[in-house]
Amino acid sequence: MQSSLVSFIQVLRSHEVRVSPAETLDAVDVASTLGYTDRALLRDGLAMTLAKTPEEEAIFLQCFDDFFGLDLANYALPSDTTSPGQASDANTEYPTEGTDAAAATATGNDPEPHFETLSKAAEESPALSALMQSSLMHNLLHNDRNAMAMAMGQAAREAGLADMQMFTQKGQFTRRMLDALGEQHIRDAVVELEQSGNPALPLVQRYRDVLREQVRDYVEREYLLHAEGRSRQFMDDILSGVRLNNIEHVYLHKVQELIRKMARKLASRHSPRRRRQKRGQLNMPRTLRRGIANDGVMFDLHWRRARKEKPQILAVCDVSGSVAAYAKFLLLFLYSLQDVLPKVRSFAFSSHLGEVSNYFEDYSVEEAIELINRKYGGATDYGSSLLDFASLAMDDINSNTTVIVLGDARNNHGEPRLDLLQSIYQRSKQLIWLNPESRRSWGSGDSEMLRYQSACHFSAECNNLKQLERIIDQLLKSTR
Amino acid sequence: MKPEDFPQLASVQQIEQGFESHGYICSRKIATAVFLAFQLRKPILVEGPPGVGKTELAKTTALLLGTPLIRLQCYEGLDEAKALYEWKYGKQLLYTQVLKEKLGDLLQGAKGLAESVQRLHQFGDIFYSEDFLEPRPLLKAMQQEKGAILLIDEIDKSDYEFESLLLEILSDYQISIPEIGTVKARTTPMVFLTSNNTRDISDALKRRCLHLYIPFPTVGLEERIIRSRVPNVDERLRHQLVEFVHSLRQLDLKKAPAISETIDWARSLLLLHADQLETELVRSTLNVLLKFEEDIQSTEANLGNMVRECRKESASGETG
Repeated sequence: MQSSLVSFIQVLRSHEVRVSPAETLDAVDVASTLGYTDRALLRDGLAMTLAKTPEEEAIFLQCFDDFFGLDLANYALPSDTTSPGQASDANTEYPTEGTDAAAATATGNDPEPHFETLSKAAEESPALSALMQSSLMHNLLHNDRNAMAMAMGQAAREAGLADMQMFTQKGQFTRRMLDALGEQHIRDAVVELEQSGNPALPLVQRYRDVLREQVRDYVEREYLLHAEGRSRQFMDDILSGVRLNNIEHVYLHKVQELIRKMARKLASRHSPRRRRQKRGQLNMPRTLRRGIANDGVMFDLHWRRARKEKPQILAVCDVSGSVAAYAKFLLLFLYSLQDVLPKVRSFAFSSHLGEVSNYFEDYSVEEAIELINRKYGGATDYGSSLLDFASLAMDDINSNTTVIVLGDARNNHGEPRLDLLQSIYQRSKQLIWLNPESRRSWGSGDSEMLRYQSACHFSAECNNLKQLERIIDQLLKSTR
Repeated sequence: MKPEDFPQLASVQQIEQGFESHGYICSRKIATAVFLAFQLRKPILVEGPPGVGKTELAKTTALLLGTPLIRLQCYEGLDEAKALYEWKYGKQLLYTQVLKEKLGDLLQGAKGLAESVQRLHQFGDIFYSEDFLEPRPLLKAMQQEKGAILLIDEIDKSDYEFESLLLEILSDYQISIPEIGTVKARTTPMVFLTSNNTRDISDALKRRCLHLYIPFPTVGLEERIIRSRVPNVDERLRHQLVEFVHSLRQLDLKKAPAISETIDWARSLLLLHADQLETELVRSTLNVLLKFEEDIQSTEANLGNMVRECRKESASGETG
């Protein structure tokens, strides 16, 4: 049982529930304390040690049902099961086990008449008689679920099913499993019976179809358990390298998940540091003054309180057609970092500019971004947008402010108002310009990027998630 | 705490019954968590929305076991001097003043500074001994002879450093005091940590705990809770009011009403001698359930329908 607990934990890990070895030990303790008799109790108990958030708990419950619910094909229904592990576990969920088993045997194929028909047919067909000799057909005919379950497990090992990586491999592995089970005999018999026009043909075909279906289900389940996590990991890797505006619409929600994951990673990397820096030094004058009352003994120490700086981030995003997709991801990232980042104020512009921070208070990040796109989208005018920004926020920009501008700097040949950007540059702690275009095309055509760049502390190309993550990582370092 | 001393916690069913006798109706899962925590000597990290009975769980466990409940309320800036121990500076100072005169006697006949210091060394660190130690909740819980329930409330409000401070206590049930050494728990206390999820708890802390998430209860469970807490409410009203609260939780509210609010509301309805929900009655008592003006306003628009819905359901429930 312990080994099946360990392989269950493997499954959890492939579904992105992080389980440490210590937690595995805890899980073993829990299982031995609670015993294996009450399925629901065991499930709740294991959930408490293995799942650490409500989301993980949902994944856990799903995996638990999938994994321990494996009653291998419907061959492996309860009865006098002697096979160890999953099958017997699965049964405990149903208190009506006895009636289930009874029903199963009642509806199950009564082997005798089929057996007779087939034996008769086998006299005329050597392939069928060979098939009748095989243990596979024997098990099928007698509906021997335990033996089938064992054979299935054996075939899975031979086919190397646990190495399955991608969903495209399902067919291939199904075939390998069937071969390992000895389906060849059935196929031979079918061919031969077809040629001789034997009446036993449909019966054999039915057995073949049942077998194939079971194997397919088995492979499908194994895929969901083991390989799905791997192929998701693969997907994530690809997505984080793709240009953000090339990402297909169907993958958008995946990207959002990915961003949240990255944000969590960055948050946990940066949060403790901020706290440490807040610690003060010894405030000698006050300590001395306090000591006077105690005859000059300075046991009551007073610490200089760290000046509470309020770093502030202003995000200014171009939401015109060409850049909107990137703005969306930047904002999503920034707002996913609420826990560690200081207060973020966001502004959106294309022809004019407005503050959009309150959208994020009232709506979820996705909805807010949709609304903003609708309200501010249009032809870009950097000059007037910068003017708007200056009148809205210039007074709030001081040496603790980080301003992030996201835009392609394509100004449709309008007045760039570089002077405004320069004054922002002088007042702020840092001004970062993120441009989704590649560095080579900066300054070409109507792009004012080279001029704007001169008034930035830092400018960078930013068009996929990896770059975005790196930049925000730097940002977090520098705002502390 | 040794399992044999506390037959109340011998099995999950017994815990459930024990809690019920103290007026705490819990789901099977909660009872399982308490059982496991007790058997495996692990702390429980209880998470869930405010007002679902997280703190109450610790209190009831203390009642059930008849052990003292030691509570540490967390807040930003909580540090070891307030959570673990503090030296009794005043007492130390007083004693030094009083003993000053003794100093002359002690050092009599000593030649030179070196010899005087030598003599002083013989006395050891009398001022940093257990007598001068002021135990704070965590240390106090370790010192209890017969075990205790330690409740570390709203851990998410504390700082990250404080979490790290807890790690030693939670995994080994001991506290290191530099001046004295390691203080081991006389009897392992049972520890409950609660969190409202305002920030993520560090993995190191989570790993040491059993993780219990208490969601809002199901209708059936909540009715049982009301029956136990406000026994005088009649069955029809109880069903209606619980249904109503559940339909409120479906709405997008700033703060959904929790069990404690349901109980308060049931009490208020009882005081008003209501025997079933009426729209006007609900409107005038809505402020017991909802704590934000926006929530009340957004709910009031649809109040009539919601009340009618609940009454219909309870009626069909009775006939069916």
